[in-house]
Amino acid sequence: MATNELWTPERIPDPFAGVAKLLFDWIPLLLLVLGWEVVSGRAVSESVLPPPTAVAAATVDLFATGEVVPHLAVSLLRVGVGLSLSIVVGVLLGIGMSQSEAVENFFDVFLSLIYPLPKTALVPLALLWLGIGTKTAVLIVFLACLLPIVMNANNAAENVDRNLIRSARMMGTSDRRLFWKVVIPATIPEILTGIRQAIPFAFISLISAELIASEQGMGRLIRDAGSLGRYPAMFATIVIISAVAYTAVYGFEQVRERVLVWT
Amino acid sequence: MDGSIGISNLEKVYGEGTERTKAIDDLSFDIDGGEFVSVVGPSGCGKSTLLYIIAGFLDITDGTVSVDGTPIDGPGTDRGVVFQDYALFPWRTVKENVLYGLEEAGVPDEEADATAQRFIDMMDLSGFENKYPKELSGGMKQRVALARTLAYDPKILLMDEPFGALDQPLRETLQDQLIDIWGDLDKTVVFITHDVEEAVYLSERVMIMTRHPGTKKTVTEVDLDRSGPREDIVTSDEFTRKKNEVWRSLREETKSEVQP
Repeated sequence: MATNELWTPERIPDPFAGVAKLLFDWIPLLLLVLGWEVVSGRAVSESVLPPPTAVAAATVDLFATGEVVPHLAVSLLRVGVGLSLSIVVGVLLGIGMSQSEAVENFFDVFLSLIYPLPKTALVPLALLWLGIGTKTAVLIVFLACLLPIVMNANNAAENVDRNLIRSARMMGTSDRRLFWKVVIPATIPEILTGIRQAIPFAFISLISAELIASEQGMGRLIRDAGSLGRYPAMFATIVIISAVAYTAVYGFEQVRERVLVWT
Repeated sequence: MDGSIGISNLEKVYGEGTERTKAIDDLSFDIDGGEFVSVVGPSGCGKSTLLYIIAGFLDITDGTVSVDGTPIDGPGTDRGVVFQDYALFPWRTVKENVLYGLEEAGVPDEEADATAQRFIDMMDLSGFENKYPKELSGGMKQRVALARTLAYDPKILLMDEPFGALDQPLRETLQDQLIDIWGDLDKTVVFITHDVEEAVYLSERVMIMTRHPGTKKTVTEVDLDRSGPREDIVTSDEFTRKKNEVWRSLREETKSEVQP
């Protein structure tokens, strides 16, 4: 009797499952690259729009000569530090605001004010305060990532199922332990969603900051290659940073799925 | 300490000023240790409020509510609540859910594990220990919730329409399981339901509540021999008579709602 009660989801067969789906997903990009290759040097001058083959060669070249390596390393460090800081501060702030009215009232106005502001608008100001370099980039990345993480953590912490809290208290969990035993685990899915949303923002803000206020990093490399007329190298840098951002999001989603087997 | 509950002149008011609504008014009722009592009433009669007051989730406005003679002060492990929506921790497996109360009580791992397994087996959940709640049907979730509550051995079970979301055959299975548990484990049970048949089938006494504000209307004693199979119980004269009695009393209340 017990077994037929087990809930099993309906499975709709997907005609594009597995490898076929993977190929199918990438067809639009493939078409774009093919079209680009055809147009370049014919409809548009090769110097303005270098063909993908030239960009590919420049990409290989950037790694072969080692030119891109220090820039990429610096950029990854900035994204890593900025994002990590925003996770720590964002989670604490988001959950803290749900637990204490004083904390919520204090930070609410700041968060409401910086929410609609494009964080890249703060680059000149950050530059003035922190000078050219890593500190400015980290600050901008931090600010750009903070909001989605705070919002998701706060929303989740405020909406923890009341009966879960009641059950835990009934079973002898003190208010202090309640935080670790119930509030944190119940909030984890949305914290991870917030981080997932923040990752693209991290790269957007990183490149914006580096274009203006850095002597190193992928943003700076894009600017330098552009101003020196090395367009294949410029495109190659954009391709590399896009691939890195894509991998970061994809990798994070894999981790997230593994952590959230229970959702 | 036998798990008796004493309620005297209980009053519960929600809100203030013009928002004031009296949910429960002057309710007095005593429940013996080991007794199975159901509370039925029209929706909005305050029966869930009453249960949550006994659980310690809600403050009272006036009167006293005590367990074994001691006034209630917040939730505590002498009582256990089973909710209609199960309230299982979704990040914990079946086994981990059942272990929760034992962990919090500081029971040594090995002993806790054996106790949890005993109640998992009792609730026919063997083989599902490592499943997460999302993988279970409603009936199984409610059995996990029951096992989790029984595992830390509260004297009093407070059940808030626990089978309300389940279909009839499943509900009957769980009702019979509950009767067995009650017979074996010597618990006081306060069972909230709007299902008259369920109330009479399960309980020794059924309290019918009035609506707006809620208070005790009538109490029906049900004297059934529950050792036999369900078909013998539901076809007995006592069952039919008491079911009609409770139904009539409840009917008066529901009617007064339509014709104020």
